[in-house]
Amino acid sequence: MTNNGLSDSQVLEIASFNGIKVYQIKMDKFKTNSVNIFFHDNLSREKASKNALLPAVLRRGSVNFPTIQDISLYLEELYGATFDCGVTKKGENQIIQFYLDFICDKYASGETDLTKKAFDLLFEIITNPVTENGVFKKEYVQQEAKNLKELIESRVNDKVQYGVDKCLEVMCENEPFGIYDYGTIEDIDTINESNLYEHYKYFLETLPVYVFVSGDINDEKIGYIIDKLKQIKRGEIKNIQSANVEKHVSQVREVVERMNVNQAKLSIGFRTNIEPNSDNYYKLMLYNSILGGGIHSKLFQNVREKNGMAYYVFSRLEKFKGLMVISSGIEISNKDKAYDVIVKQLEDMKNGNISDYEFEASIKSIETGIKSLKDSQLQMVDFNLSQIIAGTKDTPDDIIEKVKKVSRQDVMDIAKYIEMDTIYFLTSNQ
Amino acid sequence: MDIKSIEYKNIGEIMHTYEHKSGLKCFVIPKKGYSKKFATFATHYGSINNQFIVPGESEITTVPDGIAHFLEHKLFEQKDGSVMDKFSQLGSNPNAYTSFAQTAYLFSCTDKFDENFGLLLNFVQNPYITEESVEKEKDIIGQEIRMYEDNPNWRVFFNLLRAFYVNNPVKIDIAGSIESISKINKDILYTCYNTFYHPSNMIIVVVGDVDAVKVFEQIDQSITVNSSMPEIKRIFPDEPDKINESYVEQQLAVSMPLFQIGYKDSGFCSKGMDCLMRETAIKILLEMIMGRSSKLYNELYNEGLINNSFEFDYTIEENYAYSVFGGESKDPLKVKEVVLEEITSLQQSGLNMETYERIRRAQKGRFVKQFNSVERIAHNFVSVYFKDVNIFDYMEVYDKITFEYVNQVFREHFTADKLAMSVIKPA
Repeated sequence: MTNNGLSDSQVLEIASFNGIKVYQIKMDKFKTNSVNIFFHDNLSREKASKNALLPAVLRRGSVNFPTIQDISLYLEELYGATFDCGVTKKGENQIIQFYLDFICDKYASGETDLTKKAFDLLFEIITNPVTENGVFKKEYVQQEAKNLKELIESRVNDKVQYGVDKCLEVMCENEPFGIYDYGTIEDIDTINESNLYEHYKYFLETLPVYVFVSGDINDEKIGYIIDKLKQIKRGEIKNIQSANVEKHVSQVREVVERMNVNQAKLSIGFRTNIEPNSDNYYKLMLYNSILGGGIHSKLFQNVREKNGMAYYVFSRLEKFKGLMVISSGIEISNKDKAYDVIVKQLEDMKNGNISDYEFEASIKSIETGIKSLKDSQLQMVDFNLSQIIAGTKDTPDDIIEKVKKVSRQDVMDIAKYIEMDTIYFLTSNQ
Repeated sequence: MDIKSIEYKNIGEIMHTYEHKSGLKCFVIPKKGYSKKFATFATHYGSINNQFIVPGESEITTVPDGIAHFLEHKLFEQKDGSVMDKFSQLGSNPNAYTSFAQTAYLFSCTDKFDENFGLLLNFVQNPYITEESVEKEKDIIGQEIRMYEDNPNWRVFFNLLRAFYVNNPVKIDIAGSIESISKINKDILYTCYNTFYHPSNMIIVVVGDVDAVKVFEQIDQSITVNSSMPEIKRIFPDEPDKINESYVEQQLAVSMPLFQIGYKDSGFCSKGMDCLMRETAIKILLEMIMGRSSKLYNELYNEGLINNSFEFDYTIEENYAYSVFGGESKDPLKVKEVVLEEITSLQQSGLNMETYERIRRAQKGRFVKQFNSVERIAHNFVSVYFKDVNIFDYMEVYDKITFEYVNQVFREHFTADKLAMSVIKPA
């Protein structure tokens, strides 16, 4: 185990044991060090709500820090360390994540052991929860179940995000991807302190774990972290599947949802039929950038700048499930007009009606975006985690090189793979 | 070229400053090893400046609500098309924002900094506004306004400002209303531009792995104005110390009530170190009273009265200041009652010195973390600069602030008659 010669922002796998992989990202330009721990599960109706509830209960307290107050107090003592945890989905993987960052020793007057203290806290929260009669504390489980249900209900508050998520969920309602990150209210109602504790054992013993240590942390401290992780009792490690990407559409579906809103949201979901580890994926990245990936894109130029129909409009990829979504906030009465302008852009993409400006600016926009990742610890961690899930081993620079090789013809060819699946329209009650 | 450099050893940063003969103040904060280079060109002009006297005139000019933001949109338009396209050709991301007291134009790039910076310097100094493009922008901004109408977090906040303030223009939506922007035309936009976009009313901040001398030289070549402009007279209506209304409510498509509660501040000094000192004191106090390590937070959380969305903050600007806390709750009125009880009881029993010390240290640590991000540095620099201080001064404040001072502010700020509440209820 050595990190000699590791250049800035380079990721290195430094240990692998018991289904736990530890990576180091050396970045000494930051004021902070951070540790991210990810547990991966297959996204399933059966497990989704439990996976979502678990970190919410764990954050309530551990044996040595039994309340939120105790944990927060200690974080303050560690010079304002930040702790967070939760769930997210990437494709058809559900990821339970734990995060901690803390300032480097040199900014913490006289302190030399922040890394160990901070990691001990994170480790304690994950592995040593408060229990009652051999299971989770009932009060914590009940309260967090209630909070989680409220969180699911409050999705509607953010109409921009809701308009995007709902479109893709409706589109994939019979596939694992259609399951919301936090599961369902009905499923939460079946969870109690005992079955959640059973689930906790499954989580801790069998889910594959990825640990990222980033910042300016020396070998001795990394060794300390690895030794602690080896103490976790592990069983047979679960096999995690990647998402099923290929799906062809026989008929486009239209879904209308009504709410008390002033602005309508028009979202259109697509199947790209492109696997995240295929060569076509780099072509798809460029396709998406030209279509709706920024101010240079066709959607921005035409829906907003030329026709003044929207303040925001974009297209976005869901890499792991092979989806693309276009979304825009428009005047309710403009639905058909906006749809026509969007479809015209899709046709132009297919016919190779792409200007030099659109083509060149899109490549540069991707390049800038990817180079910028190196300025954020969190983004570099997320980038490398995404490589693991996609089954690719690209560095940021590799991706830039591959995108630069994509031709105009490649973009036109990619357009043929993309099939419109669902038109989702969020509109007013009237 | 007279460049001043100050080293802030305790956080490992350096700031280079240069003042151009036009009165434009320029700052470079180098970030070695960063890919991104970030530049901001900002004017001391925001949504609250809707009444002013143009230098050289005697009459007060009153402009429609939302015009500073409208002008921000229009400045990107140039004679040969949108300058956004030129940034895009270079692969950079231009953007802009309008706040209550500032308008800022910015870009981030990883390549060709000089060319990008040249574009920024040029377009902000050369407006090209036509009646036709003004009309088209009304549609786009109209949709921006509609989007905010449906954003409950935005609404709950502006409703609170309306509860605090009787006359202060901070209560007006930054983008204005569809009705107010309909009155905007080319001539009024130019009046605002000519008044507030003189270099002496502006600053430039560059953060990233750049050569400060080269940056300042480029500015020198690009800015042709030779002298400062006389002071702009900004007119603010008199604002009583008392709050406007103690409770406001609105219905929106939300799942559960959202609330914000806050204290309208008065009798504060809004410039210089005193202002940072007060801001820091109240932020420490809020954390002590209702932060996650507090008894109050844990009580409210355990009772199911608040959830993870609960937050608090304090803002201080040239002629207004307020604290605010809130989130989602089934029973916002009950939250208010419990918070008030705790504040009253703390005011009787006194603050705990150990808690104060721990939180002061934690906030100092969190402050240091901000210097991870080039955007955060530039953004925060601009937001405090026009108060005649800079972001590095916070470090001094964290070291100088005392428990006695925090106690004094505690007695001043948290008074029941300055408390207002805003609630969004499910429709």
